[in-house]
Amino acid sequence: MSVYEPRPEEIEELLRSVDRDGAIVEARSVADSPISRGRLLGLALAGTGTTLLARAGSASAAATLARSDIDILNYALVLEYLQAAFYTEAERSGALTGKTAEAARVVGAVERAHVTAFLKLLGSKAVKRPLFDFQGTTEQQTAFLKTAVAFEDLAVAAYKGQAPKLRAKPVLAAAVGIHSVEARHAAWMRELFGITPAVNAFDKPASRANINRVVASTHFIVARPRTTQKRKPKYTG
Amino acid sequence: MKLGISLALAVVAVAAFALFETTASTPPARRAHETPIDRFEALPATPKSALQIGRPEPLASGRYLARFSVVSHPTPARAEPRTSARIITTLATSTPDDTPNALTVLRAETDGNGSLWVRVRLPILPNGTAGWVRRRALGAYQTTTERLVVDRKRLTATLYRNGKSIFRAPIGVGTDSWPTPPGEYLVRSELTRYASPFYGPIAFGTTARSAVLTDWPGGGFVGIHGTSSPELIPGHISHGCVRLRNPDIVRLASLMPVGTPLTIE
Repeated sequence: MSVYEPRPEEIEELLRSVDRDGAIVEARSVADSPISRGRLLGLALAGTGTTLLARAGSASAAATLARSDIDILNYALVLEYLQAAFYTEAERSGALTGKTAEAARVVGAVERAHVTAFLKLLGSKAVKRPLFDFQGTTEQQTAFLKTAVAFEDLAVAAYKGQAPKLRAKPVLAAAVGIHSVEARHAAWMRELFGITPAVNAFDKPASRANINRVVASTHFIVARPRTTQKRKPKYTG
Repeated sequence: MKLGISLALAVVAVAAFALFETTASTPPARRAHETPIDRFEALPATPKSALQIGRPEPLASGRYLARFSVVSHPTPARAEPRTSARIITTLATSTPDDTPNALTVLRAETDGNGSLWVRVRLPILPNGTAGWVRRRALGAYQTTTERLVVDRKRLTATLYRNGKSIFRAPIGVGTDSWPTPPGEYLVRSELTRYASPFYGPIAFGTTARSAVLTDWPGGGFVGIHGTSSPELIPGHISHGCVRLRNPDIVRLASLMPVGTPLTIE
């Protein structure tokens, strides 16, 4: 592995090339206060016009969980949706090559398994899958790696920020189990991108401001285009 | 006297220390190889995870998957993936139906400057024309697993999902004078709640255009809609549109999302 460690300003410059508002760059410089799960969840819901599904009668294991734990799980689910969609689109694009393509294939399969597990646990309380516009970052190798590093670091920081707030120990056990997997993904993507995977003795959780700003200003979560109209057709008939 | 007491206390202390050391450092026979970690056996058991995470899920086959996107910024569509290439047409962000201008995405390519271009089918004549637009002029990629096939000989419309037929109904298509144009298109809009019995209760807009009715209001686009004359179906009866009986168009609408590829054969 390369021992080259780019200077912070070099990394920021690289990331800015795919990150119109500099938001992805900020995801990498995590701060030290708790994350607002509600804010991120709100972003996803605002993007889709969706509310929490509350179909009566579709019982799930989530019925026994505290409301705050369900909110945190849904918050995590949005991040898992984001990652799963990112790797899925990248793999389908066929634009990645070599070890990067292999990493996208493996990590994507894991992220999809995470989504499935969350949906199974949350049942009718799960938020709907938002629509994501990755703006070409899934179709170019360098842009993909930059974004993947940012996403994985973001996920690790988010799990770290939320885990201490979970009330049910089985949910905490699950979060810790996923957190370490996301950390491996982060290390893998960092290595592929040429960044030393682990340099810090202690990682801080992401700040509330950082997480919200990152997700919102990347514009990766978008509203679904409204393709239905109430108007008289003008077709040829 | 004091010395004697002190000596006695010292002897007791040494004996007590020796006994403690013996007790502490001499493990029972059954724990002869105890390690420091063994001392924590009494810690609580790890709680069972609330999430039952299964095996990694490999990507499902994309054999029946189609991609589409919408034009997010007005943009020229070019003959080649480079800014100096000939402009074929300029794409607007919305259709004559006032819905987002959805296009079938074919593939992507990066030019020599590192800019990403996407090849899309264009809603222009001649039907089937494709062109290149900058990726940044498009919105999110969306996917569908459905495909609608209009068979002008058998006069049927069949909807497939993941390659399996899930809907089939008789249809009316264009006459010889106003033929329904063959080719590959996209269902790009859905119109409802209008007051026009001629089009039935629901009408889908497509990217197909009549090659004959070029001055038709709205550009002569071919629709898929209901009818006020169900007795004429099946038949060659329309100006190019695909007509279904009203119960059939309602059922189709419950199964077919906007963004579904349309094959007219």
